[in-house]
Amino acid sequence: MVEMKNVTKEFPGVRALSGVSFSLRAEGELHGLVGKNGAGKSTLMNVLTGVFPPDSGEINIHGKSYPRLTTTISRQLGIACVHQHSQLVPSLSIAENVFCGSLPTTRIGLVDWNTIYRETGERLKNLGLDIDVRRKVEGLSVAERQIIEITKALFAKARIIILDEATAPLPKSEVEMLFGFVRRQRERGAAFVYISHYLEEIFELCETVTVMKDGRNIGDHAVASLSQPELVRLISGVEVERFRHSDRIAFGDALLEVRDLDRPGVYSQLSLTIAPGEIVGLTGLEGCGKDSFARGLFGLEPLGIGVTLLGGRPYRARSPREALNQGVAYLPRDRHGLGIIGLRSVRENITLPILSRLMGLLGLVVRKRENALVAQLIEKLNVVTPSMLQAVQFLSGGNQQKVVFAKLASVDPKVLLLDEPTQGVDVQAKVEILKIIDQLSREKKVAVVVISEEIRELLDICDRIVVMFKGRIVREFLTDDSRTTGEAILHAVEGTGVA
Amino acid sequence: MRANQLRPVPVLLDNLIWFLLLLALIIFSALTNRFFTVNNVTNILVHSAVLGIMVIGQSFTLITGNFDLSAESNLGLIAVLGAFLMTASGEPSNGSGLLLNPLLALLVMFGTGLLIGAINGLLITRLKMNNFIVTLSMLIIIRGLAFLVTHGKTVTGIPASFKALGHAYAGPVPISVIVLLAAFALAFFVMRYTRFGRDLYAVGGNSDAASVSGIDSQRRIRQAYLISGAMAAFAAWIELGRLGVGATRIGENMIFEIQAAAVIGGISLFGGRGTMLGALGGVLLLSSINSGLNLLQVSGFAIDMVRGIVILGAMLIDAQKVRYTMPPRIPAGAASTTKK
Amino acid sequence: MRTKASTPFLLRQLIWFLLAAIVLFFTLTTRNFLSIGNFINILFNASVLGVLVIGQSFTLLTGNFDLSIESTLGLCGLLGIWFITHAGPPLYGSGWMVAPTVSIIVILFIGLGIGVINGVLITKMKVNNFVVTLAMLITIRGLTLLVNNGQTAYSVSQSYNWIGLGKLGPIPIPIVVFLLLFAFAYVVTTYTPFGRELFAIGANRNASYASGVKPETRIIQVYMISGLLAALAGWMLSARLTNAMSSMGQGSVFEVFAAAVIGGISLKGGQGSMIGALGGVLLLTTIGAGLNLMNVSVYWIQAIRGFIILIAMLIEAQKVRYSRALADPGEQKNR
Repeated sequence: MVEMKNVTKEFPGVRALSGVSFSLRAEGELHGLVGKNGAGKSTLMNVLTGVFPPDSGEINIHGKSYPRLTTTISRQLGIACVHQHSQLVPSLSIAENVFCGSLPTTRIGLVDWNTIYRETGERLKNLGLDIDVRRKVEGLSVAERQIIEITKALFAKARIIILDEATAPLPKSEVEMLFGFVRRQRERGAAFVYISHYLEEIFELCETVTVMKDGRNIGDHAVASLSQPELVRLISGVEVERFRHSDRIAFGDALLEVRDLDRPGVYSQLSLTIAPGEIVGLTGLEGCGKDSFARGLFGLEPLGIGVTLLGGRPYRARSPREALNQGVAYLPRDRHGLGIIGLRSVRENITLPILSRLMGLLGLVVRKRENALVAQLIEKLNVVTPSMLQAVQFLSGGNQQKVVFAKLASVDPKVLLLDEPTQGVDVQAKVEILKIIDQLSREKKVAVVVISEEIRELLDICDRIVVMFKGRIVREFLTDDSRTTGEAILHAVEGTGVA
Repeated sequence: MRANQLRPVPVLLDNLIWFLLLLALIIFSALTNRFFTVNNVTNILVHSAVLGIMVIGQSFTLITGNFDLSAESNLGLIAVLGAFLMTASGEPSNGSGLLLNPLLALLVMFGTGLLIGAINGLLITRLKMNNFIVTLSMLIIIRGLAFLVTHGKTVTGIPASFKALGHAYAGPVPISVIVLLAAFALAFFVMRYTRFGRDLYAVGGNSDAASVSGIDSQRRIRQAYLISGAMAAFAAWIELGRLGVGATRIGENMIFEIQAAAVIGGISLFGGRGTMLGALGGVLLLSSINSGLNLLQVSGFAIDMVRGIVILGAMLIDAQKVRYTMPPRIPAGAASTTKK
Repeated sequence: MRTKASTPFLLRQLIWFLLAAIVLFFTLTTRNFLSIGNFINILFNASVLGVLVIGQSFTLLTGNFDLSIESTLGLCGLLGIWFITHAGPPLYGSGWMVAPTVSIIVILFIGLGIGVINGVLITKMKVNNFVVTLAMLITIRGLTLLVNNGQTAYSVSQSYNWIGLGKLGPIPIPIVVFLLLFAFAYVVTTYTPFGRELFAIGANRNASYASGVKPETRIIQVYMISGLLAALAGWMLSARLTNAMSSMGQGSVFEVFAAAVIGGISLKGGQGSMIGALGGVLLLTTIGAGLNLMNVSVYWIQAIRGFIILIAMLIEAQKVRYSRALADPGEQKNR
């Protein structure tokens, strides 16, 4: 169906694609596309959808060659792309969004609303969605919107749909809904290219996978013939060891303790203790309350009623400022919205919470002190940046995350709450971050809570894993225990299985 | 409650303007019996004509999510330019001496309006400059040009035939009112039933999404500015007829009222929302308040204050409406983000 | 670890190169441009605008703006005189005969108060900043007109007028005030935690909050600064003119924006510097002065001012594009 031969694309200063060949053979093919940040996956797809013309190479679609592919032509040929950022118009109705840009008209050229509503309603029903098409898109959940977007692409007679990190904003339960939908479409002959960092999803959904590295296609494989470590090795090119956390040491008295925490509708009877130097994993389905708990501890949301003790003394934070003052720090799941200040420099990001500590006479910040601290943290965390004055928005995802870590480290926290710390980060940086977490907890005796849906990672790094289900803690696992397996944890997460 | 499941704005809020208008009419009629007379209502409508046409133009750009702050200056320049071309030179008319045929002058006026609209559109879409700043600068520049044309003096002696639009009556109904209502009807129709209109909403609601759907967002924005410019010319035509002379300061300070009427009528400053019908309601409401307060012999200065409060109220509602219905930005990894 | 920024020197200091170019231009085309007297004149004219721009810049840095400043200037300038002079012709004051010092303190507090109202409405009541400050602009101007029924008030008080007409040696007081305030503002924004937090809030308010900053408090504070400085500017202007018309300051909000934006303060917030803003003020005033010396018609000057804003914006847009490409071209394709 699609054949890209020897495509090369250069941008000022960098070769994004070097002689890449990629093909989609069959209808209904579910083809994964993986690689580190900067490997060229998105660029390759951008070339296919006509956003960028290639410097050299051929693009053949349905057997015909297209030397001057534009977005219009690409769309007409049935190629559509769905990103992680919504491409719908929130203030307009579902129906109008689906037909956006190609509104049907009556014989005299007026917009034919009847047809629009009727057809959208019919087709959505056929696709298994029962929704009032006159509703405005802004009232829909994220997953529903993703589905509408794919529907829109299908409406435009798209036969090849590219999902570019489309599941990144989705909680696991809704990813399943999306996959079900994708599989149904595939049965009708639509082919999908699935770009993701979530290797587990690639294994679940795709039949074939193409690995890209440094602008090259380093191999097409059948998914069934690979194991995850092999795939990881291919992507990063190095034998990346699975991270093994350091030994447990005698931890001592509890540092953070919550008893019978209750927040109506979110969680109840939450009791947890964490000792200094301990790494506790917290996992569960979306909506189980795990991230609300962390945000509550940090002052971003109400915590609820119950007893909360830090170092034996009552703890309460009504704002992040109060939390930080008491030594509790939080790494947000939403990096771009809550974690980094993209426009400002690495230096400013890191020292923002502790500016008052860097003051000298007259209440002015002492540059030398600041630079020294920042330089130290950058080195320790291996943040790759040309200068500490570089605006954080220009760093790669993994390095941005490290900047947030550095910021938290600068506060010298006693408790670290990490919400999806390796999300959206390439394989190499993932391991580095896990190492940092391990180091921080052991050396500085920081109590760490890692919230994640990646059970495999939790098994690697945590001493204990606590599972929540519908607002309650249902099981605790010790990672050193042989009975603790990924399966057992998964059962607990889904609320099945005997304790 | 899921953070991204929001209540749809109830019908009441969307049609608020009509309730408000009704309320205003009732209150003023109760306070003075001179309010609800044929004479006064006609007066209100006539005064609404110029504002109304300007609001139509502004609505087109606002729906695409762009401001046209230069509108008031466009009105001024086009008006005096037209007057200038048609009148004799020297005192007391202060014209050019060209004594241009009114029809020709009208052509030039519309041409100027379109030209300004084109410039605004190009600067904003091709040179990617901020719409607030561009139209703000144009506001200043074009007012300056108006002064240059007239040297600060008022131009008089406009041919009667030209002034007919702003002046004349078709039976008991002023032509300007008919024009106003017809213009709004046409604009409403375009917005609701043409692809062009729907494209404008898409561009204003999410211009990336619009582009991806095949809509030429930049082109639509340019077209919106062309319409705004043309409307300014249209309004200038009516205003010259109504005022009778080409005063250099025509339109000064009108920009706030235009935005206010649009917003009161439901056209969101954020783009992608609102209807022409609502905008008309906004215009009528503002004119009614003006008229009512005048009849009640409230001091001109106090009227300004009341206007300010009305504007604040309207925009407060706009902001709340949009805040309620605007989806939280969903960047990678967030299913529920706490907004502060 | 490099501690130098990546944008080239020329681009960062563009405003000063422009200013130098303009000065050169006028020196060549008019007589007596390059004289102390002329420079003092320019700074004198720049002083009121400058004070307003400082206030506005504080709000701009946080990603907000204050449209009401011109009305606050008008109200406070009027009240300042109105309080201290007797009623009826020829001065048209209130007749309360308040002591000038007290009057000045009161109007400064009024400026602060307006700032508080703006700030609270915007942060606590979550009303859009355009709406709030626009409504305040209109309402306060209405109030100003009401106070003296539109009548101009005149000041014959030496102590009141001092800030506008006094001199410190050879240098007029307004210039001293203006330059001192700029220096102070520069230090505050660059070197104090308060200033740094403003940039953070403007660039990403939520992330700042999550990093321990209190955006709402800071925003109220910058609106207070804006209001206070607008009141100060009102005092300065009315003192210099020795009278206060009820339309004083009307229309000046555009020029304030122009100067700030030309000087590199981003309208989106989180970027810019006081030094740049100072450059913007000087550029606008210098051009006005030079054109005056060239005997250019007032109306042309207005038009040219508008042009300058346009050009400044064009350069601003290019600057962003250029520095983005410079920084990390490899990242571009992932966006």
